[in-house]
Parts: sequence; C-alpha cells; structure tokens
Amino acid sequence: MIIVETRPALSLRIYIHLPFTILLALPIFLALSSGFVVVGVYLERKISAFIQDRLGPMEVGKWGLLQLFADLLKLLQKEDIVPAAADRKLFLLAPSVIFASVFAGFAVMPLTPDLQGSATAVGVFYLMAIVSFDVVGILMAGWGSNNKYSLLGAMRSVAQIVSYEIPLGLTILCVVMICQSLNLQEISFQQGIYTYEPNYLFGIRALGIDVTDWGGIFSWNILRNPFLLIAYVIFFIATLAEANRAPFDLPEGESEIVAGFNTEYSGMRFALLFLSEYAMMLLVAFLGAILFLGSWNTPLPNIGPVRLADWTSGSPGTVWGNLTGAFWLLTKALAAIMVQMWVRWTLPRLRVDQLMFLCWKVLTPIGIVLLLISGVWRLLMI
Amino acid sequence: MKPIEIVFYVLTGITLLSAITVVTARNPIHSVLALIATFFCLSGHYILMNAQFLAAVNIIVYAGAIMVLFLFTIMFLNLRREDEESKTNLTKMAAVVVGGILMVTMLLVFRAVQLPAVNEGNFDARTGLVEQLGIMLYSDYLLPFELASVLLLVAMVGAVMLGKREAGDRHF
Amino acid sequence: MLPIILLSVFGIVLLFMGFLKSKVLLLPATLVFILAALATTFMDWGKTYLYFQNMLLTNNLAILFTTIVLLSAFMVVALSNSFIEDEQAQPAEYYALLLFSLVGAIMMISFENLIMLFVGVEILSVAMYVLAGSDKHSPRSNEAALKYFLMGAFATGIMLFGIALLYGATGTFVVSGIKSYVYTNAYGVSLLLYMGIILLLIGMLFKVSAAPFHFWTPDVYDGTPGLFTAFMSTVVKTAGFAALFRVLSVSFVGVYSFWWGTLAALTCLTLLIGNVTAVYQTSFKRMMAYSSISHAGYLLIGLTALGTQTKQALVFYSLAYSLATISAFGVLLVVSRQRQDTNGVNENFDAFNGLARQNPLLGFVMAVSMLSLAGIPLTAGFWGKFMIFTTAADKGIYWILVFAVLMSTVGIYYYFRVIIAMYFREGAAEPVKVAPFYRYVLIAATILTLVLGLAPGLLEGLV
Repeated sequence: MIIVETRPALSLRIYIHLPFTILLALPIFLALSSGFVVVGVYLERKISAFIQDRLGPMEVGKWGLLQLFADLLKLLQKEDIVPAAADRKLFLLAPSVIFASVFAGFAVMPLTPDLQGSATAVGVFYLMAIVSFDVVGILMAGWGSNNKYSLLGAMRSVAQIVSYEIPLGLTILCVVMICQSLNLQEISFQQGIYTYEPNYLFGIRALGIDVTDWGGIFSWNILRNPFLLIAYVIFFIATLAEANRAPFDLPEGESEIVAGFNTEYSGMRFALLFLSEYAMMLLVAFLGAILFLGSWNTPLPNIGPVRLADWTSGSPGTVWGNLTGAFWLLTKALAAIMVQMWVRWTLPRLRVDQLMFLCWKVLTPIGIVLLLISGVWRLLMI
Repeated sequence: MKPIEIVFYVLTGITLLSAITVVTARNPIHSVLALIATFFCLSGHYILMNAQFLAAVNIIVYAGAIMVLFLFTIMFLNLRREDEESKTNLTKMAAVVVGGILMVTMLLVFRAVQLPAVNEGNFDARTGLVEQLGIMLYSDYLLPFELASVLLLVAMVGAVMLGKREAGDRHF
Repeated sequence: MLPIILLSVFGIVLLFMGFLKSKVLLLPATLVFILAALATTFMDWGKTYLYFQNMLLTNNLAILFTTIVLLSAFMVVALSNSFIEDEQAQPAEYYALLLFSLVGAIMMISFENLIMLFVGVEILSVAMYVLAGSDKHSPRSNEAALKYFLMGAFATGIMLFGIALLYGATGTFVVSGIKSYVYTNAYGVSLLLYMGIILLLIGMLFKVSAAPFHFWTPDVYDGTPGLFTAFMSTVVKTAGFAALFRVLSVSFVGVYSFWWGTLAALTCLTLLIGNVTAVYQTSFKRMMAYSSISHAGYLLIGLTALGTQTKQALVFYSLAYSLATISAFGVLLVVSRQRQDTNGVNENFDAFNGLARQNPLLGFVMAVSMLSLAGIPLTAGFWGKFMIFTTAADKGIYWILVFAVLMSTVGIYYYFRVIIAMYFREGAAEPVKVAPFYRYVLIAATILTLVLGLAPGLLEGLV
C-alpha cells in the first residue's frame, strides 16, 4: 500500500509503509543475500570454467549443481579455530561486524515499487556510511588474527576501500544531483513510466521531446543524462575495489599474502566472511542498477501503439507490478554481477601503486568533472 | 515508559559504557574500537533527534574515515607493549581532583538548569534533513561555510608540506 | 570583509607561484599582498558594517587591530629573506600559510557570530601548528608542533563546548544577541551561561598563553623556527585579545561581577609565573616565551578592569608589544645564525656578548626593544603599560595595580641582562652581517617604537 502526497514546495513524495512490508523486506533480503551465495559461487565457477575453456564442477549432482551444498556441509563440520596468539574477542567478533555492516546496507534498498525496508530521506547517504563501516571489521579481523599476512591484507584492503570511496561518492552524487533526492525509491520512480515529473529525451527540456510516456530505457538515468554512462563505468570500477573483487583483490592476493585478512579463519566464520563478500557484490550491483539502470523499471519503451513498457511492468501497488519490478531489478543486478565475474577472470591483478594511481589521478578527477557536468545538466532539465 | 524512551535509555547506556571503555582499556586498539562504538551510538542519538543527515555524516567522517586512520596508525606503530607509566602520583591526584571538580560543577549546573518546555505544535519533521540543512548553510551561514574551506585548505597544505618527500629522504 | 577575501585569494595565488622555478618573486609578492589587504582594510574606516547576516562586524577598533596584525605580518615576512636562501625551505607554502592564518586572525578580530570566532581560531591555530613543525629535521621543532597541536586541539574542544553551552543558554550565536539575552534576564540568567563563559575563557586564554594554560608556551616558542615564533607571539596574541575583548565587552559585560574575579586571579598568576620564571632562563628565546606570558598578564589587566579606556589601552599595548617583539626576534635571528656554538644556532644570552661594539645598529635596535618591553619611558612600551595601569586605577582595582608594578620591576631585571651582555661583555670579534632590506625593517620598527614613546597622542581618539 502506498500513499502518494505531493508537497507544493518540491513535489517530493512520502511513502507510508504498512509495518508488514518493512518486516517483509528483512527476511526477503536475508534470504536473497544468503541464497545468492549459492547461485553466485556456482555461477562464478562455471563462468571461470567457460572463460578458461574447462568444465568446472561436474561431480556433485547434475552439472555439479550440488557442489556448493557439499562445500557448505564441509565448512559446517570444520573446527572453529582461534589462533592461540590472536586477540580472541576481536577475532570472533570481526566476521559478524563485516556481515552486519554489509547487510545493513540492504535496509534502504527498494526491491519492488512497494517493498523497501526503510524510506529514510537520507537513503543513499546512509548506505555509503554503513558500507564504509566494514573496513572496521576488516581491520579487526586482520589485526585480531595476529598474523602478518592478515595484517598486511587488512591494511591493503582498508587503504583501497577508503580511497575508492571518493570516486564512488562522486558518481553517486552525480545521480543525486540529477534526481534531487537521496531516497532510492524516489530515484527509482523517476526512471520509468510511473514518474511524477515529465522526462525529456536526454533530459534536455529545450529539445521538447517528452518521453514520459515512452518510459523504458529512455527514462533511465544513463539516458536522462548521457554523461552518467561514464559515471556508471567509474561507479562500477570503484565498486569492484570496494568489494575487493579482482582485479582489485590485492587484499587477498593469494600469490603474495596467502589469503589476506581471512587467512586465519576457518569453518563457519570463514563462511560468514565469504557470505559478506558475495552480499557486498550483490549490494553494489543492486545499487548500480537502481542509480543508473532504471531500478525496477522495464527497459522496453512504449512505441506508439506497441505498449511494451505497459505490458512488461504492472502499476505500483498491484501484485503484478511487484513481480515485474522484482524481476527487472534482479535481472539487472545479476547482469552486473556477470560482468564483475567476467572482469575477474579476464584481467590480471593490479599493483598497489597502479591501484592508487587509478583512484586518485584518473577516477577522482573525472568524477569531479562529471559532478560539475551533472550540476549543469540539472539546470537544463528544469 | 514509551518505546522511544526505552530506546533512548538503552542507547545512552551503551554510549556511556563504550565511552568509559575508551578511557579504561589497556590496549589502544580496544580504545579506538570502543571510540568507534561511541560514535555509532551518538549517531543513534542524532537519529532520535531527527538529525538524519548529521547521523550519516558522523558515521562516514568519524567512524568510517578518521577512526579508521587512527586504527591504521596504531596498528602500524604496534603499541601492544605496555609502556611504563610516566605520570607521577602527584599528577594523577591533581588530574583526579580537577576532573572531579569539573564533573561536580557540571552535574550541579545541568541539574539546576530548567529547560524550556517543548512545544510539539511547532515541530517540523523536515528540520535536520538535508534540504533544510542545505538552505541554512547556503543562506545564513554562507560565510563561515565558505571560510571553513580555507581551514581545510590550510590543513591540506600543511599536511602536504610536512609529508612531502625531500631530496635526502628515502621512502621505499 | 575585503581583506579576508583578498588574503584567501592571495594565499592560493602564492601556492601557484610556488610552481615557478625562481623563488625571488615570492617575498616581494607577499609583501605587496599584505599591503593590498592593509589598504582595503581602511576602506571601512569610520563606519560600522555588519556583513552576511550578523557574521562579521567591522568598526574602527576592528580596523585598528587588523592593522596591527597586518603590520606585524608585514614585518615578519620582510625579515624572512633567509627562506629564499635555504634550499630545504618551501617558501611558497610558508607564505601561503601565513596569509591564510591572517584570514583566521581577522576573523577573530571582527567576528559577530561565535561560529566565525571558532573557524577563525581554527584557521589561525592549524596554520601555526604546521609552521611550528616546519623545520622537519629538527627534533625540537617536531616536538613543538606536536605539543602545540595536541594541547591546542584540547583547548579548541573546550572552547567549542563553551560555545555550545552558550547557545544552549541563549539560543543564539550572535555576540550582540547574547548581550541582549543577558540584559533581558539580568536576575535569572541560565547557569549554562556561566559554564559557557568559563569554558570559552579557558579556550581563549590558552591561545593567548595566559597562566595556568601556558605550559605549552616555552617549549613551543623554543622549538619553533625563530621567525614563526615572532609571528606567533604577536599576531596570535593580538588577535586573541581582540577576540577576548569583543566577547567580554559586548556579550558578557552584563555579568561582569561573575567573571572579573576569576580573570583577576588568572591575571595575577600570569604576571607572577611569566615574570619570575623568565628570570631563571639562560636561553633568550625561552626568556621571550616567558616574557610573552607576562605581557599576556598585562593585557589581561585591561580586560579585568573593563572600562571605557580599555580598548584604547589594548590597541596601544598590542602595537607596542608587537613592534618590540618583532625587532627583538629580528636581531636574534641574524645573531643566532651567525654566532653558532657547538649545538648549532646559539639562542642563549651569551650570543649577544659585545654585540653593541661590532654592530652598534643591531645593539641599539635590541636595546630599544628591550626597554620598550620593560616599559621604560621614552619608548612605546612605557605608554602601553601606563594606559593599562590607568584603566585599573580608573576601575579602582589598586591591589592588582601594585602587583603589576612590582612584577614589571622584576621584568626590568631580565630585559636588562640582554643590554648588559651587548654593551658590557666581551664577545666575538667579527661583526654580524645584515642585509640592507633587513636593516631597514629593523630601523623602521625601532623608529616607530620611539615615535610612539615620544608622542603617544598620535593614536588617541582613533577608537
């Protein structure tokens, strides 16, 4: 149920959720992020096998489908080892801190037009804040293990995450500037046929081509301001670094420092670290889809009498609307994850100085320029 | 008790507990981590006062960036070994007396102060959100807001100046 | 308002000029920039302006304090030719930081909103922390920077807490708003106000190095490169007292009876500690540090005896003190660098032995500045002390007057140690070399001190 209220000043909407939708979002996302590990790991292994021209897991179950359950079973049986010299409290607490901070990010994610944990007015900002908190967990894990590889891995990881937060924040700000809102649901609504503001082609009002009714890809943020396509590329690179994914996986560079900050972890605690890594991948893929790729809106536009957009997305508040919304958002997020995996198995790992060069001397300046362009673009839009 | 009061008291309890841990922990890493927990709880208090933006900024800037740098430095310095106590008993006594007097004074003052009653009719739900804050910053407080950039520039120039590699230095 | 904008822009320009291969242009450019700021300062002369919704208030008093600050900075920069010769130094950054810190100082002088005071204090302090540690290879300089930074950060925190409590009590950051709150609630001001006043005072008194918040002063003054010590002891102190005067004379004058006793006690403590400890120093620079504490004490008398004469006295005293301090440090800089002992630069009293024989000019400059600091007639320092003591007498606080006179006789002892060393001791045979421009600056400062000493009426009636 959704109540739309138009305020005279800035015509922002306030969403009033019934308590059960909030309570619904929590188990859904919990199931989604842990279920994603199952899909993600299998996908990762199959994709890597495909890229390297091998078969991947084939033994357990049909096409190796049950491989991950076998792995999980193994992890469950393993002993929970705490090294004798470790700082016990920190060591035990760290995986929970990391998982909690990543999972807390899902609180403001809209999954469908009606399903969102919290419609707080500072949504994106909250997301950045809470996600940046997992470096604390990583440092706790790295330092608490009392192992030089762990510490080195944690140091690298933190340096990387803290640095890449800057281009990441800049690209997110570009979107916020175009949409004039920090609420992810509000941003989602703007990018489809259910928007309450008219959308023009490429966002330029002066062109006079109203695409509000077309919907589809024409109202996505990457087309409302074509420069946001560049922003999305930067966003994607920065999120790879944030999630410690290859080619930015220096924190766990196997050839140099064993496994980085999770060297000493075993059993379920390792599984939890693993889970949060995949949850982070999912989170940033979601975020990218919501900010740039039209969120839960369909990519298919209405072309004259061929009402593709209307046919493929139900109106908010209906069951059909929620189903199609979830379908499109999940499809987009999974596509982004496929690209993440493709990149991982294609590109070699960067050196530390290359990593920092890319962040501070390439992505950050471009991000600042894009921010300026977005500000100007917003003026063209109104 | 209203639910909001229960949240407030629980949050306050955790805040005070972690703040005390900051001072009493023997291990500097534990101190910093407790400080991060304190900042986190303070953000909770901000949210209770509807200052959502401030809460997020507090976490990003303090818990996420400054405290992480703190942890970073302390871990590199490896301060695990207990340094011998350099304070004399006299200094400790003086510190306790002065701190105690300050605390008693503050307690007395805060107990005696009568806060004006809250008028719930005046409450504006938008106060403390980004929009209102931005309008305030760019109208009434424009000058200090802009001059704060001079402050940041000074700090940055200073950091670069002190950290710059010189002809004789070797870093790697 | 205009000097603030100009100095911020000029600071950035200087940073860009640092890219130039040649460093020759930096010094004259900085001097021109400061002069330009000084010229624009006088555009508001005789008028009272409020800028940016009660953020900044310029009046004649603020303009005079700004002039003193800019004049001190001008002289300090003029004496800085050693940067250009030093290969390790980064003059563009030094000059830019000096200009930025002047922005902070002017904010402290002309604030109307306590937020401006806070930002100004921070700009000035952060620049000073960095400059204190600018001699990267000297452990003493590093120690100075760290001590100043840690203690300064705490003081700022305390001050901020005070400002927050003041806001809690009065609901406003505006200085005149607090004043009207105090007057409308004359019999029932909130206790938070008292707490706020005390905490704000602690923060500000730390910045002007009044006892018992002076512990950083000797080590920091000693370790900081000499030129920046001169800047620190003049600009920071002048700006600090201007800020204290504004907040005490406007906001808190209604509760004078509450804070004057505390301030009087601190004044006496400052005078006692500064003057008595200075006697035992062997290093001239440390002596100057304690002397600066004692001068903070004299200036505090003016605030304790807040009255109509106070602002005149503060302006005159700050000017006299700044002129004398800068010329003293100017002489110390050349002497200590050219008469080195086994530990490197010699900043002890014996470095001055026989200086007056070889360099009569340097000897005379130093002697005049010491006499002025000691408050001997025919110098500006005498009239400065005279005006300060007059305020106390007007207010009828005679015991503080007697104490201060007693303490300034103690002061004469340690200031004369330098004069005795210069005129009556045997020292190195070869004279100290002084660059021509350097000499002109020292002469100008000395002449100003003497002119103000002979004709103190020149500044009368300006505020």
